[in-house]
Amino acid sequence: MKIKSLLIANRGEIAIRIIRTARKMGIRTYVIKTIKEPSAWYLEEADEIIDFSESFDDSLPEFLDIERIIASTKKHKVDAIHPGYGFLAENPDFARRCEEEKIVFIGPSHDAIYRMGHKTIAKELARKHNVPLLGGSPGSVANAEEARKIANEIGYPVILKAAAGGGGRGMRVVEKEKDIERMFTLATNEAEKAFNNPDVFIERFVREPRHIEFQILADQHGNVVHLGERECSVQRKHQKLLEESPSPALDQKLRNKMGEAAINIAKAVNYYSAGTVEFLLDEDKSFTFMEMNTRIQVEHPVTEMVTGIDLIEQMILIAEGKKLAFAQKDIKLNGWAIEWRINAEDVQSGFSPSLGTIEKISWAENEHIRVDTGVRDGSVITPYYDSMIAKLIVHAETREKALQQSSMAIRKFWIKGTKTTLAFCRAVLQNSNFRKGKFNTSFISKELKIHYHNEPDEVMLAAFFATYDYARGIHQFEEKPLKIDKSKKIAPWVSNKRLR
Amino acid sequence: MARISKKKKSTKLIALSTTNKAYEFKKPLELKIKYQGKEVEIRLHEDPDGFSYIVWKNKKYMLDIIEKNQNRYTIMVNGVWHSFTVETPISLKRRRYLEEKGDSSSSVVIEAPMPGKIIDILVEEGSEIKEGEPIIILEAMKMQNEISSHVTGVVKSVEVKKNDSVMKDDVLIEIQKG
Repeated sequence: MKIKSLLIANRGEIAIRIIRTARKMGIRTYVIKTIKEPSAWYLEEADEIIDFSESFDDSLPEFLDIERIIASTKKHKVDAIHPGYGFLAENPDFARRCEEEKIVFIGPSHDAIYRMGHKTIAKELARKHNVPLLGGSPGSVANAEEARKIANEIGYPVILKAAAGGGGRGMRVVEKEKDIERMFTLATNEAEKAFNNPDVFIERFVREPRHIEFQILADQHGNVVHLGERECSVQRKHQKLLEESPSPALDQKLRNKMGEAAINIAKAVNYYSAGTVEFLLDEDKSFTFMEMNTRIQVEHPVTEMVTGIDLIEQMILIAEGKKLAFAQKDIKLNGWAIEWRINAEDVQSGFSPSLGTIEKISWAENEHIRVDTGVRDGSVITPYYDSMIAKLIVHAETREKALQQSSMAIRKFWIKGTKTTLAFCRAVLQNSNFRKGKFNTSFISKELKIHYHNEPDEVMLAAFFATYDYARGIHQFEEKPLKIDKSKKIAPWVSNKRLR
Repeated sequence: MARISKKKKSTKLIALSTTNKAYEFKKPLELKIKYQGKEVEIRLHEDPDGFSYIVWKNKKYMLDIIEKNQNRYTIMVNGVWHSFTVETPISLKRRRYLEEKGDSSSSVVIEAPMPGKIIDILVEEGSEIKEGEPIIILEAMKMQNEISSHVTGVVKSVEVKKNDSVMKDDVLIEIQKG
């Protein structure tokens, strides 16, 4: 069936990303307007807006309201829904409801989502298909006491993970027995909040692995290919901060082996659509299966850059029932791509969220640079959604050249009005082990003692500017008293345009 | 503002960083300063598209005022912020004197580092706590964050309740240092 119209049950950069491909394919796009972001950019990019902004029900946020989204899709006679990532992307009930209502869900079957989403079922499937696994609880853990018992058996440190989880939420590492009760409560609360399911399970915690994931594409006719790996080891509290493809840790032999394991996992659930199989890679190059994400990932652009394949387009074609137009031997990894996540966070205060208005945003443009963003001048960063505001993707022939281009692109990526993780990106780029490709998931906590980078001159210039602005204020007061509205943000040179 | 009279005008201003480093600049402030023994020109620019930046030794430095309140400044240069108080030689002397005297002063407040909702309070009035110990769980941006104490002492008062919504910098807990 040819998809002619498509509702995007998402917001921000991914909504705009999906619209871009849909437009190219001649598909009409619908998006949802919420009261939380009534003038967001993605609304303007879409062909049609479905207005959810008249009601504000915080107990059931708009992008999680399955029945309302389904009803709107039917009312507007829209063919398909793309869930993006997060929200309902990995909710099997949503995919099932779409199937029941004859709406094309641009993603895998509800059965595949359910089985891969349930980590204990997924692990069992991996075991059956001879994919290596970590030790831990066979199923979810009933209470803190049971957690303590299992942890004592497999030995500390252990990791508690939400059974329905992903993206670092509902995940806690426990170093010592005395912390297990508190951490169990934190993990279950967070799992309940984030996924509506408090179940957690326990695994042995590998302290310094690499996090390597494989991009999969599978059609509804049993054809499965992998598009190489993504290196996602640079994480803070299990949140990815940058990703690259390929990984400096893999050679072609290991790539083939892990890619094959990933394909086997996908085949085990008759998977179709785009998906990602995550592995931990130990120093000795042994790998274990972690989980499969049954959605498009935030970091999908690095794969697109090195393979030249539009993953959103493939998802739509697969949902239409088309066969993959390429086989494994046709997939070539070309050059090196790195994605830098730009979050509205205060790196200097423990990455705490930084709300506010993006007064100005700009970046350098050339053939190496791609920017996926959902914000523009004047966009408001609200506390309702995650803090990611842009992704800077750099693609070059080699890793070294990609790093060089990154330095330039990060220096020229200017955002005024909020604090961002760009300061962190600079710190990573300065690190010699990162540059050499020698790092793992402990990189930030062990290697990167200071999470931001500045040059000595910059502190002096900041000091100078503070003093200069202060002196100018005093001067103005002495010449002619000025009324200053303190609540208004003052642009640095508002009253002194003749400066050059 | 009235206390700044022309008669007492001093010859320099000092930007004092939060790490107690002092940057001195001669008054009146000019866009040429002495730095590491050399006279260097600082050029201030405003792009037509609204960015402000400094040109210093032929390099651009993106500039933003994050906070400005009387003599307190937070200035962001190339994405990293720096806080200063701008002092005169006299106010700096007074400040240093007060700091020496006041350091042993007794109580400290723990503020919310970000807006969010109080999920749990792990201490009560009278609880003894150690530096680094978690005291409150605050949910913000879909994450549960442990707020810990940066001092050792006894909880003097708890200013929030479970399920309260708090703004950034709201006082959560007061601790008697000990």
